[in-house]
Amino acid sequence: MSKETIRVRRKRGRIGNRLRRVPLYVLPVLWSLFTIFCVLWIILTSLKTNRELFSNVWSLPTSIQYQNYVKAWTVSKLGLEFRNSVVLVFASVLLILVLCAPAAYVLSRMKFKGGGLLTGIFIAGAGIPLPLLFIPLFGLTAKLHINNTLPGLIIIYTTVSIPFTMYLLTGFFRTLPTELEEAARLDGCSEFGVFRRVMLPLASPGLITAAIFNFIALWNEYMLALVFLNDPNKMPISRGLYGIAESMQYTGDWVGLFAGVVIVMVPTIIIYVLLSERLIEGITMGALK
Amino acid sequence: MFTERKKLIIAFLIPSSALYLIFFLVPALQSLFYSLFEWRGFGADKEFIGLRNFQHLLDLRATFDGQFPFLHLNPRDAVFWVSMKTTLTFLLLGGVLTFTLAFLFTAMLSSGIRGKKFFRLIIFAPNVVAAVALATLWGFIYNPRFGMLRGFFEILGLEEIAKTPWMGPGKIVFAVLIAMCWIWIGFYLVLLLAGVDQIPKEMFDAAKVDGANVFQLFTKVTIPLIWDVLSIAIIHFGIGALKVFEFPYVICGRLPPREIWTLGIYTYVMGFGKRDPIYRLGYSSAIGVIMQLLVIVLILVFARVFRREAVEY
Repeated sequence: MSKETIRVRRKRGRIGNRLRRVPLYVLPVLWSLFTIFCVLWIILTSLKTNRELFSNVWSLPTSIQYQNYVKAWTVSKLGLEFRNSVVLVFASVLLILVLCAPAAYVLSRMKFKGGGLLTGIFIAGAGIPLPLLFIPLFGLTAKLHINNTLPGLIIIYTTVSIPFTMYLLTGFFRTLPTELEEAARLDGCSEFGVFRRVMLPLASPGLITAAIFNFIALWNEYMLALVFLNDPNKMPISRGLYGIAESMQYTGDWVGLFAGVVIVMVPTIIIYVLLSERLIEGITMGALK
Repeated sequence: MFTERKKLIIAFLIPSSALYLIFFLVPALQSLFYSLFEWRGFGADKEFIGLRNFQHLLDLRATFDGQFPFLHLNPRDAVFWVSMKTTLTFLLLGGVLTFTLAFLFTAMLSSGIRGKKFFRLIIFAPNVVAAVALATLWGFIYNPRFGMLRGFFEILGLEEIAKTPWMGPGKIVFAVLIAMCWIWIGFYLVLLLAGVDQIPKEMFDAAKVDGANVFQLFTKVTIPLIWDVLSIAIIHFGIGALKVFEFPYVICGRLPPREIWTLGIYTYVMGFGKRDPIYRLGYSSAIGVIMQLLVIVLILVFARVFRREAVEY
C-alpha cells in the first residue's frame, strides 16, 4: 500500500466519523433554532402593527413601529413598573448579600456547637413550598404596617432567597484555601479584619454569582408580588406585563403585549449573555463536590 | 466572657437568623396551626375544628359496586382533586419527559460534537426569562384563532390539525406541560452535563475496550458516576414541580380554567380569591400543609431510592 492510499483512507475515516456524528446534531440544532426563532419572532412582532400580525403571523414588519414600545412604556405604565422593579430587586439583592455573606462565612469556616444544624435549617427552607407562607406572612406584614409596600416586599424577597443563597455561599466559602486566613491571623489581624480584608475579597466570585442568581429570580418573580402587593403604582414589571396580558381580551393589542415582553426580557437576557458562565457555574457548584 | 471569635459568630449570625425565623420559619409553623381552624377573613374569629379541613379536602367519597369501573369517586372537594391531579401530572409525566430529554441532550452534547457550549447556552436560556413573558409567548403559540401552531399546520396544509384548540379541555394540561418542559430541560441539562463532564475520559475508554455498547456505557458508567448530581437534580425538580404556580396561572391572560390549577394556585385562590376574595384562610392553610407533606414524602422516597455508597473515582 502506498503512502498515498493510506492518507486517503485515513481521510475517509475521518470524514466517515464526522458523518456518523451528524444525527447527534439534529435534535440540539432543531431545539436551539426553535428557541432562537421564538426570540426573534417576539422582537419582530413587537415592531409590527396588529393588522400585520393578524393577516400573517410570520411576516416581517413593513415599517418599524417604535410607538408600540412608547405605548407599553407610558400608557401601559411599564416605565413606572420597570423603575419599581429596579428598586425592589437592587434593594433585595443588596440586603440578601449583606445578611447572607457574613452568616455563610461563619457557618462554613468556623467550628462551633450547632453550626451544622443551623446551616441545615437554613438550607432546608428550600423544601418549604412558598404558598404555605401566604396567609401568615400576609397577616404579619399587615400587623407591621408594611403590607402593600415596597419595603415589605423587599423583606419577603430577601427572606425567601436566604435558603438558596446560604446553600450557594456556604458551598463557596468552603472551597476557599485556609492559608491566607491563617497568615492574616498571625499578622495580628482581628477576626472581623480577616473576614473584611481577606475572605470577602476572596469570596467575591461567589458573591457575584449569588447576586446574579437572585437578580434574575427576583426580576422575574410574579407570585409573591401578586399576593403581597395591591397598589397599582407599586407593581413590579412582571405584574405590569400580566396586567397588559389581562386587558388583552378587551384591547386585542398583541403587538403592544409583545413590546412589553421584550422590555421584561431584555435586562435578564443581557446579564445572561454577558455572565452565563458564572451563572452555569453557580448552578453546578453545589451539586458537584 | 465572650472571646472575640464568639462575638463575631453571634454578630454575623443574628441578623439573617432573626429575619429567617420571623419571616419564614414561624409563618410556616403558623400555617400548620391555622390549618386546624375555620377562619373566614383576617378580621374574623378563628374557630378550632381539628382536622376537619383535611377531612373535607381528602374525602374522596369512594363507593364500590358491581358496575364498571367498580370504584366510583365523588370527592367532596372536586377542585382540590383536580389540582392534585394536575400537580402530580406535572411532577410525574413532566419528570419523565424532562429527564428523558435532558439525558438525551446530555449524551449528545458530551459526545464531542462541536458547539457544545453554544447549544447549552441556548437550551438553558428560557430559564432566565420571566415566566410571565414565556407564558405570554406560549399563549400566543397555542392561540386557536391566529396562533403560531395554527399557522404552522396551515403552511403544511394540515387544515384539520390547524384548527385544534390546543388550550381546550383535555389538552390544556399537556399544552402547559410541554411549554414548561421546554424550560425545565435546559436547567437539568446543565446539571447533568456538568456531572458527565467530571467523569474522567479513561472510564469510558476502559469500558469501550471491554466491549461495552452505548446503552451499557450509559447504565453502567454514566449513571453510577453522576449519581450524586442526579439525586440532587431529581429532588430539586420534584420540589419545583410540586409548587408550580406562575406559568399555568398566567398563560391564559385571565384566571385559568380549573383544569390547570395546581395545589399552589388553589391555595392562593382559597386564601385570597381573584376578583372576589374568598378568604377561607384555615382551609387554604390546610392545602399548603398538604403541599408540604407531599414535599416531605417525595424527599423521603428519593432519599431511600438514592441511598447507596457513592462511587469514588
